[in-house]
Amino acid sequence: MPDSAASSRIQLWDWPVRLSHWGFAALVPALWLSAEAGRMDLHKQLGLVMLALVVFRLGWGLVGSTPARFASFLSGPRRVLAYLRGGTWSGIGHNPLGGWSVAALLAMLSAQLSLGLICEDSDGLESGPLNHYVSYDTAALARAGHELGFDLLAVLVGVHLAAIAWYRFRRREDLVTPMLTGRRRFAHRVAQPQMAPAWRAVVLAALAGALAWWVGQGAPLGAAA
Amino acid sequence: MKLLGKFVVGGALALVAGVAVAADAGALVKAREDNFKGMGKAMKAIGEELKAPAPAAAVLKTNAATIAQNAHRVAGMFPKGSGPESGVKTHALPAIWEKPADFRKRADDLVAAAEGLKLAAGTGNPAAVREAQMKVGGTCKACHQDFKARD
Repeated sequence: MPDSAASSRIQLWDWPVRLSHWGFAALVPALWLSAEAGRMDLHKQLGLVMLALVVFRLGWGLVGSTPARFASFLSGPRRVLAYLRGGTWSGIGHNPLGGWSVAALLAMLSAQLSLGLICEDSDGLESGPLNHYVSYDTAALARAGHELGFDLLAVLVGVHLAAIAWYRFRRREDLVTPMLTGRRRFAHRVAQPQMAPAWRAVVLAALAGALAWWVGQGAPLGAAA
Repeated sequence: MKLLGKFVVGGALALVAGVAVAADAGALVKAREDNFKGMGKAMKAIGEELKAPAPAAAVLKTNAATIAQNAHRVAGMFPKGSGPESGVKTHALPAIWEKPADFRKRADDLVAAAEGLKLAAGTGNPAAVREAQMKVGGTCKACHQDFKARD
């Protein structure tokens, strides 16, 4: 074990990252259960919360703290391959492979939201808030895609959980605690990454919430809503 | 060889009939899916019209009439041999032919609800149309649960 002088404990995940992460973790099963139980009113409400959260996280990937930014954790194929081959990587947040796992999860959530917003059930009783912007046939395709999309999302979540277990038991790296506390200890000295100011998260949250609310109203474009 | 000739002719006829039935089943499944889709589209049109500040009575009436017209055809569109055993891709479950009385009841429920919707559309009262539409949707759902395979 290195002595304490050489190790460092830094603030890695800020509260917007942790809030959206655990929000996703709670909402995905809740959305699945509500749909399975036929509680479509609840499913749509939760879906709008998910929309706000995904928009918030995507925005935070652009203007948030350094470890939260896409620019800091999405790397090119050469670095990903080097990491896969066991090459050294001295970063602090998402590793070159994990970064793409985050991107895939966010992309899949976005796809599920897009399809869910326009789809309609085969009874004509329930439809997404933006269903009126598409035809009956498009809505039917979206429904099939939304069901398939959940299966793909479940696979990605499975890979995500398996990776966490792999790092825990094979690499002896605890990834869960930092996602809870936001802080991570390193055996070597690392610089504290730059954290974004809270007001930015507040503004972004307000914008994301407003967008979700507007979409929930059917995204009216004119005065006649 | 008269007897053999009869067998040959009989066999050929049976084969032709078999192919004809298969072709029929395909056309039949397509026709009844179109019939359901017609109702689905009309349900969507009514739902969208009801979101407007002042729903147009004509739109509600036309679509309610379509639903009622198609609803009446449902019970007659499931002859024996037009299920999954025909080899044609269909969401129709074998339960339709195993419990014909139950299925018939569901089809009649749809007709009754669709006639109710037509009446409500005639009054032009959006709230009444909405309520009647929910009833129609309820009959769709109830029947799909027991008799339609999920996608």
